[in-house]
Amino acid sequence: MAGSSYKCARCKQKVEIDVNVRCPFCGHRILFKERGAAIKEIKAR
Amino acid sequence: MEKIPSLQFEKEPIDKNSVRFILSNSRSAFANAWRRAMISEVPSFAIEDVRVYDNTSPLFDEILAHRLGLIPLTTGGDNNYLSRAECSCNNEGCEKCTVTLTMSVEGPLLACSKNLISHDPDVQPADPDIPIIKLASDQKVVVEARAILDYGKRHTKWQPTTVCGYKNYPSISIDARCDGCGQCVEECPCGILEISKRKVRVIEDKLDKCALCRLCEKICMNSGIGDMPAIHISTEEDRFIFNVEGCGSVSTEEIMKQGLMFLKREADSLSNEIRALL
Amino acid sequence: MIPVRCFTCGKVVSTKYEEYKARRDEGEDLKAVLDDLGLERYCCRRMLLTHKEIIDELTPYQ
Repeated sequence: MAGSSYKCARCKQKVEIDVNVRCPFCGHRILFKERGAAIKEIKAR
Repeated sequence: MEKIPSLQFEKEPIDKNSVRFILSNSRSAFANAWRRAMISEVPSFAIEDVRVYDNTSPLFDEILAHRLGLIPLTTGGDNNYLSRAECSCNNEGCEKCTVTLTMSVEGPLLACSKNLISHDPDVQPADPDIPIIKLASDQKVVVEARAILDYGKRHTKWQPTTVCGYKNYPSISIDARCDGCGQCVEECPCGILEISKRKVRVIEDKLDKCALCRLCEKICMNSGIGDMPAIHISTEEDRFIFNVEGCGSVSTEEIMKQGLMFLKREADSLSNEIRALL
Repeated sequence: MIPVRCFTCGKVVSTKYEEYKARRDEGEDLKAVLDDLGLERYCCRRMLLTHKEIIDELTPYQ
């Protein structure tokens, strides 16, 4: 996995998922997926 | 000889985006064609493409884009923009057919349509206070929206009208059998009837408020008067009450004018084609 | 967030929500408020009457 693409919901640290879905800093198990840097183009419908 | 169609406007418009007028000496075919032209054939600006650079708000990009699309943008009658289909840029969007609006906001803030900065001062959000998104601190939205001219038949966001309808001019007659029982006065949901000298009559200036619901006829029949009611509701077939309300993008005057211009263009092209066949 | 326009007729109703909310919370009669705001048709009136604002509950999630 390239870079840290998740963020811990509690301590807001960047996290990488290897085996366990768990924040290595605070042990919290809810992680947010970070938004990609790409510009999103959508239709306003 | 055919009478010339004429318009008569109500003295006081309810607000600047709404008109009521009477179209006389016309036909239902024309009235309906005009109504349909005003709804779906008058071009206006609306946001179509949205580029989301950053969005850390609780709303999805798609919801945000949809909300942006529904914001009415002011569209003057004499603008020089082309619709995408007519433009030579091959649907890519150039300054002849596209207006770019940008919004870059950071919380805590209730982002409103006034935060949308347009590069053309003539094409602006019609109302500066339309809430788009509520941001908490450290939330951020950066978008670039591209507005294009199009027609209501493609999507309602390009419709310049909200309400646009007509009814035939009502005509109410009360015959001699009316005993002034007053049941129709109470039944009428529009409150246009009154009793005067033991007879029912229409309150002055309220005739055009009649909704043609015929509840008065029904209650009159049930009052034991016989097989026929004493009050008769009918319509004048060549007179119409129009009610046109704009959403703020195009003025009502302009909507009416451009609707008629569309009908004229269509009629002209039809007569040209017929001429070519002969 | 309050919808930008009335679902049925397309009138812009979202601009009136802030005032509606303030006056509703003061306990004013809703009929009088909606009449004042110029929402004549019942389609537009239900937009405000039946709206439940949940944006503040969603705020922690991005």
